[in-house]
Amino acid sequence: MIKKLFIGSTNIDFLKVGRLFYRIFIIESFIFLSVAVLSITGVLNINLSVDFTGGTTYQLEAPYENSEIDQVMASSILDVSRYQTFENSNSIIFRATENTQEKETEFLFYLANKFDIPDENIDFQRVGPTFGDEITTKGVQALIIFLTLVVLLISYRYEFKYSLIALIALTHDLLLVFSIYVLLGLEITPSTIIALLTILGYSLYDTVILFDKLNDSIKSSKFSYLAEGSLNKTFNEVLMRSLNTSITSAIPIASILFLGNYLGLSGTLSDFALPLFIGILSGTYSSIFVTVPFLAKIINK
Amino acid sequence: MRRYLKILLLPIISVSLFVLVYYQNLSPKLGLDLQGGISVILTAEEGTDQELIEQAVEIMRTRIEAFGDVQEPEISISGANSVLVQLPGVTDQERAIEALGTTGLLTFRPVLDSSITTGYSPALKVIPSTEDPEKLTTAVKTGVTGVDEVIGISLVDNPEFESYILSINSGYPVIYQLGPAELTGNDISDAIAVFPENEWIVSLEFKNESANLFTELTKKLASETGDRRKLAIVLDGEVVSAPGIAFGVDPTVGITGGTAAISMGNADGGEAANNLAIILRYGALPVSFERSSIQKVSATLGEDTLNLGLQAGLVGLIIVSLYLIFYYRLLGLVAIFGLTSFGLLFYSVITLLGKYQGFTLTLSGIAGIIVSIGLAADSYIVTFEKFKDEIKIGRSFQFAADKAAIDAWKTILTADFVSLSAAILLYVLAIGPIRGFALALGVATIFDLLFTRLYTRNTVPLASSLSRNSRAFFPIKMKDLRND
Repeated sequence: MIKKLFIGSTNIDFLKVGRLFYRIFIIESFIFLSVAVLSITGVLNINLSVDFTGGTTYQLEAPYENSEIDQVMASSILDVSRYQTFENSNSIIFRATENTQEKETEFLFYLANKFDIPDENIDFQRVGPTFGDEITTKGVQALIIFLTLVVLLISYRYEFKYSLIALIALTHDLLLVFSIYVLLGLEITPSTIIALLTILGYSLYDTVILFDKLNDSIKSSKFSYLAEGSLNKTFNEVLMRSLNTSITSAIPIASILFLGNYLGLSGTLSDFALPLFIGILSGTYSSIFVTVPFLAKIINK
Repeated sequence: MRRYLKILLLPIISVSLFVLVYYQNLSPKLGLDLQGGISVILTAEEGTDQELIEQAVEIMRTRIEAFGDVQEPEISISGANSVLVQLPGVTDQERAIEALGTTGLLTFRPVLDSSITTGYSPALKVIPSTEDPEKLTTAVKTGVTGVDEVIGISLVDNPEFESYILSINSGYPVIYQLGPAELTGNDISDAIAVFPENEWIVSLEFKNESANLFTELTKKLASETGDRRKLAIVLDGEVVSAPGIAFGVDPTVGITGGTAAISMGNADGGEAANNLAIILRYGALPVSFERSSIQKVSATLGEDTLNLGLQAGLVGLIIVSLYLIFYYRLLGLVAIFGLTSFGLLFYSVITLLGKYQGFTLTLSGIAGIIVSIGLAADSYIVTFEKFKDEIKIGRSFQFAADKAAIDAWKTILTADFVSLSAAILLYVLAIGPIRGFALALGVATIFDLLFTRLYTRNTVPLASSLSRNSRAFFPIKMKDLRND
């Protein structure tokens, strides 16, 4: 099987499989749509970080008992909404909703006292909601311009129809990551937004490679279209290439995730790596299984 | 020969740059999140209009840019009425924060009276005690409101009304009674600090339309005598200086030319004058701020994250290398040599950018670098896979390698163009942390293009001539490869 995969002589009938994946795609779209609607109407809770909601985070490192954390959570100084601890380290992160600065400073000293550490060792972060807004607005701007560019570029290099398929694949990846975040209640930070933008790049890279391969096959065939057999062959051949590029992209990111987890470190780098990792997997999937059914349709029309 | 030159060009540049960087003991400039640093919250009065805060932040950004030596400062609105200022590193932060948070509200106000002759505030009147005429008490004059009852200074300085303001610049305290502001910092078009003789002055130039106002004001003052001939220059509720109009000034003409000067003394080598000039040039903040909290981001957390990033990058690189060797054998070695050289070049360029352009490496920058390792590896894979395809359809190794290298260039050009435009867009649109990421990604993409064009394109044909056996390039027998 591996040998076959390597030579690209796997005999997956993509046109048949395509119909199956088309159904999966319809189901996925339905899920994405309901997640989007439910989170907009507020039924599902989008877990936004303090950068978006405004609030404070306190990060410290000290030996602790679980009872101490319970006491902190019940503290009347601030409304502590969440805490986070790590398996392999003594780090604790508390997050609280916004309050006056006096209260926030009081809480800082309270923590220093409670865990018996000097207060300058506590990393303190206070953010207003506007910061996140700014990032989101700029992110959306970047997204729109970027997508327009992609459509123009792919239309120029290949065909206009191809660019629509690339857009479908991209949207699929973005929505998949978003839905996973909402459904698992993972925290969305500004890093997540940056990561989402990066995912676009990855997903597109894979899609462009597929289009390129397809273009080569069309060029080398005598006709301006592909027979069903050679279309299948092309998809089979490109499968390993897509897998390989995804694997090599995913390895460094996976190493951030696993090393970070092993060393008990969390923070921006992991916030970044997780959506990227999901995005790369999704991009590999979408570049083949989302694009193929659509490609098969338009090519052999 | 030409081919060898092309192959070796980039690795040689990489290694020599790296050696240069290494022997000069340079290392990348680290951001606040990696090396620790100071973070200050400036707070305005509660209930301040959000728009005013946004304006203030914009002004602070231009001020800090004019300041020059602060690396990647981050200034953002934080909470309803606060501004968060983050300054990584430790070079002269105190002065930068000072220059940022100073309101810089400058007004020109006619002097009505002062404490110079009487010795007490013009807002107060002296009442001799009925029992002991030697014993004096003071009381606020009737009709004067909003002043401190003991020293007679206005509690709140509102430039639109008469105020009693203290000056300590002349060496001893003087309280001036000032009329409403006739001109403000908004009337100034430019301000520079100069050292003409013996002391620093900030030389001001009025806007064209305001120059006439200044002339009118000086005309009026030139016809007065004593204290009332003086014009007070007030900065943030303190009289900086109150020069009298020179006696040579003709009351019918006034001072023309649209310039004025503020004396700043000679105590600090011009630092105060330079700060003031920067503040005046970019305008006053529309609201005044207090430094409500200063926080240091501990260096240990930053160091941990940096190490995590470096270790993850290294582990990622090693695994990718093993994978490439397993999968592409000789070609894998080509890729690893290329990637190593890519890594050295990247490190050196980021270090040099840090030294000469003030580029700071933040956490998101490191993420960008790790992402680009993956992208660079992708480019090799695309080339190698094309090579495989060509061999599969029966081409000779030499021909396959040439064709693969040329075809791959086109594909990679398209794919990299997409990455590059994404990076440029992110850089142009983004704020603070995203920029570091975008820059790293953009630089990496350009290097990737260079390496593909020069290194990969010429090395793959060379490597392909080393062996006739497909097992040297792929984990598969020739028979199986062709037997399709």
